[in-house]
Amino acid sequence: MNRLDEIQRAFQSRGGTSFLLGLLLLAVIPSCGDSGRHTYQKSRAMMDTFVTMTVISESRQQSETAIQAAFNSIEEFGCLINFFSATSELSQINKNAGVREVRVSPAAFDLIEKALYVADKSAGAFDPTIGPVMRLWDFHNGVRPPDADIKKNLPLVNYRDVVINKKNSGVFLRKKGMLLDLGGIAKGYAADLAVGALKQHGITAGIVAVGGDVRTFGLRADGTAWNVGIKNPRQTGAKDEIMGTIRLTDKAISTSGDYERYFISDGRRFHHILDPQTGYPSDRARSVSIIARDGVFTDGFDTAVFVLGPRRGLDLIKEINRDFEVDAIIIDVNGVIYETDRVKETIKDAKNL
Amino acid sequence: MLRIFRAVPLADKVLFFFMLTASLSGIFVVREALPQAADVIVEVDGRPVRTAPLSVDGTMAFNGDCGEIQVEIKNSRVRVSEAHCPNKLCVQQGWVSRGVIVCLPNNVVVFIGGRGTGTKKGLDAVTG
Repeated sequence: MNRLDEIQRAFQSRGGTSFLLGLLLLAVIPSCGDSGRHTYQKSRAMMDTFVTMTVISESRQQSETAIQAAFNSIEEFGCLINFFSATSELSQINKNAGVREVRVSPAAFDLIEKALYVADKSAGAFDPTIGPVMRLWDFHNGVRPPDADIKKNLPLVNYRDVVINKKNSGVFLRKKGMLLDLGGIAKGYAADLAVGALKQHGITAGIVAVGGDVRTFGLRADGTAWNVGIKNPRQTGAKDEIMGTIRLTDKAISTSGDYERYFISDGRRFHHILDPQTGYPSDRARSVSIIARDGVFTDGFDTAVFVLGPRRGLDLIKEINRDFEVDAIIIDVNGVIYETDRVKETIKDAKNL
Repeated sequence: MLRIFRAVPLADKVLFFFMLTASLSGIFVVREALPQAADVIVEVDGRPVRTAPLSVDGTMAFNGDCGEIQVEIKNSRVRVSEAHCPNKLCVQQGWVSRGVIVCLPNNVVVFIGGRGTGTKKGLDAVTG
């Protein structure tokens, strides 16, 4: 009884009140803090793929303006480098192959310059002039082109025949019939552009996925790094869709796989990642993921390493690691996993790759 | 009324206020934590053109880049029942109860149960 009186008195006194008020504030303040940083997400079909932007922001208004600006930047860029649109700058370059130099916008020029850097570093394992051979293949309808056609078009595939002029943003393809195809690198670049636009609008954390090309910056609302799943190249159902996850911040990741677009003919898998040396699908790997700061390089080098295979691919990674930090996760054609030191043991579900 | 209010000990008033705040904040917590009432949102060329409740069965037709595309809602699930795109991947995807159906050639996206992608297993994105 005494004790109860004491408690009651304590509560009635000022000390008790402020104790309770303090408790109340403690209960309310953290929840305010949490609700301050919200996660906003929007998706759209663009550049022949599905683009999802997730941003952390304290204001819905800010996030919506920023996401819209980022979508716009991808849309504008997509128009410049669309291989199938007759009016794109890329088509202008291709139409004028062997004829004259074409001046292009800064973004298109920047991308072409970077594509040539990847081509040069990989000695043509990634080649943006793959167009004349790529167009022969129809992966949707599973049509294999005649060998003679591939042989005939192969001499047109050579990145060394692309002449760029930095002074006037000019691009010239030396041989008539050459076709620049930036599909193997453009989505990563689009992710870079989108992140740039988001940052310009004051967003400090987010993740942009242009199809499978993902770029992250800052941290999630819970203060941890972004969690990106890597697809299993030999998925059998919903359970084994993801073979591993990786935590990233201020890094991009891209994956090339033989399972994205392919057909099976005579028991052989024909997929869309062609070896520019042969004009046929490269058969050294099933899946290659590259992790680096810029999406344009993860996207370009995943194709290069895929074509080179694990041994020469890892040599290339080692070499470009001198220029910037880069990592690789490779599943070779037999399902064997190769991972660089910083991403060791990312792949957990290794039973059926 | 005022007299009753004065007669109530301060601690009780504080407690009352605290409980009131707690229960009210509960509403916001629940609103944040739980997904919004399940809706089907259809976007054509990046613009939302129709929002429909997932709980009401019916069909909707839209004009995509390759002609008419038909979206069907039945038993809280959604499918693209008809499309004139070359590969009909959207039709093959079948019934979906949460997530997205994308028809790239038509530039039509159907979001089921909110605008996000409904990424699985705590993932923020998937590469590959």
